[in-house]
Amino acid sequence: MISFLIKRSLWMLFTLWIVFTVSFFLMRAVPGGPFAGERKVSPEVERNLRARYDLDAPLHQQYLKNLLRTASGDLGPSFKLADFTVNEILGQGFPVSASLGILALVFACTLGVAAGVASAIYRNSWIDVGMMLAATIGVAVPNFVLASLAVLLFVFIWPLFPAGGWGELQHLILPSICLGAPFAAYIARLTRTGMLDVLGHDYVRTARAKGLSPYQVITRHALPIALMPVVSYLGPATAGILTGSLVLERIFAIPGMGSHFIDAATQRDYTLAMGAVLLYTLLLYVMNTLVDVAYWVIDPRVKLG
Amino acid sequence: MLPDFRTSLPYVALALVIGAVAWAVSFGTLPPADFTFINGTEIESVDPAVVTGSPEGRIIDELFEGLFHNLPAEMSPDFDASREDPQELKPQPAVAKSCQISEDGKTYTFQIRRSARWSNGTPVTAHDFVWSWQRFLHPEVAAQYAYLLGDYVRGASAYNKGTVHTGDRVDVELKTRKWPHQPYPQGTLVTGILREIIKGEPPSVEASDPTAQDQLANWKDEWVYLVEADSSESRGVAGTENPNRLEAYCKSATSTPSFGGETIACHHVLPDFDETVGIRATDDHTLEVTLNHATPYFLQLCAFYPLYPVNQTCVETFGYPAWTKAENIVNNGPFRMEFRRIRDRIRLVKNPQYWNADTVKIQSIDALAVTSETTVLNMYLHGQTDWATTVPAAMIPDLSKRDDWLSDVFLGIYFYRLNVKHPVLSDVRVRQALNLAVNRQELCDNVTRAGERPAWTFCPSGIPGYTAPAGLEYNVSRAKQLLAEAGYPDGRGFPQLELLYNTSESHKTIAEVIQQQWSRNLGIKVTPKNREWGVFLNDVDNLNYHISRLGWIGDYVDPNTFLDLFVTDGANNSTGWSNPEYDRLLEQSRAEPDPGKRFEILRQAEEILLSELPIIPIYFYVSKNLVKPHVRGIHSNLRDIHPLHIIDVDPLAKKAGR
Repeated sequence: MISFLIKRSLWMLFTLWIVFTVSFFLMRAVPGGPFAGERKVSPEVERNLRARYDLDAPLHQQYLKNLLRTASGDLGPSFKLADFTVNEILGQGFPVSASLGILALVFACTLGVAAGVASAIYRNSWIDVGMMLAATIGVAVPNFVLASLAVLLFVFIWPLFPAGGWGELQHLILPSICLGAPFAAYIARLTRTGMLDVLGHDYVRTARAKGLSPYQVITRHALPIALMPVVSYLGPATAGILTGSLVLERIFAIPGMGSHFIDAATQRDYTLAMGAVLLYTLLLYVMNTLVDVAYWVIDPRVKLG
Repeated sequence: MLPDFRTSLPYVALALVIGAVAWAVSFGTLPPADFTFINGTEIESVDPAVVTGSPEGRIIDELFEGLFHNLPAEMSPDFDASREDPQELKPQPAVAKSCQISEDGKTYTFQIRRSARWSNGTPVTAHDFVWSWQRFLHPEVAAQYAYLLGDYVRGASAYNKGTVHTGDRVDVELKTRKWPHQPYPQGTLVTGILREIIKGEPPSVEASDPTAQDQLANWKDEWVYLVEADSSESRGVAGTENPNRLEAYCKSATSTPSFGGETIACHHVLPDFDETVGIRATDDHTLEVTLNHATPYFLQLCAFYPLYPVNQTCVETFGYPAWTKAENIVNNGPFRMEFRRIRDRIRLVKNPQYWNADTVKIQSIDALAVTSETTVLNMYLHGQTDWATTVPAAMIPDLSKRDDWLSDVFLGIYFYRLNVKHPVLSDVRVRQALNLAVNRQELCDNVTRAGERPAWTFCPSGIPGYTAPAGLEYNVSRAKQLLAEAGYPDGRGFPQLELLYNTSESHKTIAEVIQQQWSRNLGIKVTPKNREWGVFLNDVDNLNYHISRLGWIGDYVDPNTFLDLFVTDGANNSTGWSNPEYDRLLEQSRAEPDPGKRFEILRQAEEILLSELPIIPIYFYVSKNLVKPHVRGIHSNLRDIHPLHIIDVDPLAKKAGR
């Protein structure tokens, strides 16, 4: 386990380096620099700006300098939000996106697993049909359409929640439900399939035969194995929730990572875009590693390495 | 041990999940502000010197205050109801108590109000303005708005561009800075007379070489400046033991080879600010500004945010950007910054040190950064904000029927630039034909739909005293005739042109409608081509386009802010168009002291622009504000700028209105 984690960390550093390198050169290959604006500055002035942000050196020197600085944990000053460093911006944006993501993921798992188990147990009943219909719709409808509907229903027709903004718990609920809903739907389907598969196995029948209550059979014996596909889905689901929040953060005016990332890319804020890309990479890598560890915890047959 | 570890992990995970959720849903409490408005995109900075946008302006206008303040004319002591619109903005004394303008209109003497205070309690003095404006003009600050002083104040442009000649008095800034890249002057200054510049051989570069500009700049950095430093010790100058000796200074570490000796490293060799630039504090409370020409709108510029003062001690103590943080910033406006959450909100609270604090009625303001226009409207309708500064275009026909809809023309124009270096567009007849065949009325009625006015001239109407020339018209038969004369009867043989716009739904629709109008009226084919903003600017910059869109908002109420765009090699000309007569007229207008005659000269210049047509004016912008009825004191005006320290919110009506 320890050696596995060390190995993973080394691979992660390598991945981050590759991502850094590719992003660095791609960003600078796109035409239009960070200082282009509708009111143009004179060439002398632009030269001074470039010097301030170390853009005047040859590309390979910039690359090395940036790489070393990034490696030391300093992502540099933001080009477009000039009053802040990238570390400060991500430091403010990340907790916001994390709150949103955690709530969405917990909501998706709780609702998804509960619905999936219920449909599997009451197979072919109206509960099953109703839930799976809802799940199919949930998977098919993109979250921004869901968000528009939710705003119409719960902001205007039935004013339960504010239309957008950030700062109180009530700002968090609508967006995290909209963000989590498609994943809840998918998890419900995965759980149902997994449960149906497991419930037919011999060892479940054995467990029943030795007199365990249906509740114990499901939670102790059936669910852990039935959840394997769900656990492996958590990696991609995290990725989906992270990227999905780009759109929802816009719709609900949430000051998270997604808003920073989009604006950084379109405004050529090299340092902020780089910081966001690296943070996303790190997150996905960590989540995937956690999923692998979770596999090992749930299924004793799995070997880490 | 391992099995225990494994069996305990699910519980650890569960605890972690519960902890995470508890953390995610924990929020501090935030008391609502008296007044909340939506400010659009997140502001780039609160430093008045470095920004250009209107969201930035809305914040900086409340944090800082200039010599004068643009306020509704009705608040002015010399308000004349028969001539002035009570709601139009007029520069009125603010930090300056009064201002004397010399006979020839070139010298402005400001008396600084003795009650003006920084938020830390220290007085605002004339020296603060000298320092702030020097910083604003300093080449390293790279202020995009530097021309607001550079074009008008004596010597300011040379200081901003760092132009020095032999025999000039110069300031040499030595490399003794605490932070090398701080964008303001702070190192040791050596003042003296520039005796010689040793330039060496200029590099031989092809104009087409993309690095040509860099090579030239590197060459300039190697110049050696021989300066005879002043002997005076009073300026705290280093290295002056030997009064009449020449010192050799060089910006680059490697000085030009043609100079053999040792050089002293320096950041800049700039014109001596105190001697050559017409900005001077004669005492703590008197600021004297000398202009190149009589500039009738100079007070308007003094009331515009780039010219606001910043606190020297604060900037020098914390450095940039730390001085802009809420806990560090020292400002002199009606409000202070309580906190700033990136892309969420800026909370402003009343500044008790403000000299006119008694008249400020609201205690706190929230400026929300919301970019999606639909969200802005949702939040306004839901009562989360008192003022929405923009709304989705598609909703305007419905919104314009509301009582809280506040919209009027303001000083801005949407237009297309034509690349006159293009072989086809270089023919003025083609440019005229393209202009005559655009039905602007149809666009305003069916596409933009917010009550925009079709633009038949370039300067928006409403500038007091200025009568625009006759202007263009929609005349298809004349357009066809001109196109035939240019050699393309019924559009035959006309090459396919591209219409470049930056990615946006509304630009796209307008481009498509104009494309259809041209195809229908002239039989020519134009392809709309969208580019993401950065690429778009790059293409326009390099004249790598045929037709491109632009919006231009006036910086002050005067035709010059528009006409100045198209002088030869103007920084924002970007059409390749040049007309010596036009340049001459604009130059002449600057020297003309009589306002009536000056407008007449500018009118002639606009006439030239409208006959030569390097542009296609399309429509004049209108402001799009929604303001809740419980807010008093926000009215439409030409600049679409709304001072917030004069507004008032009726709390009872606000409660009832929610």
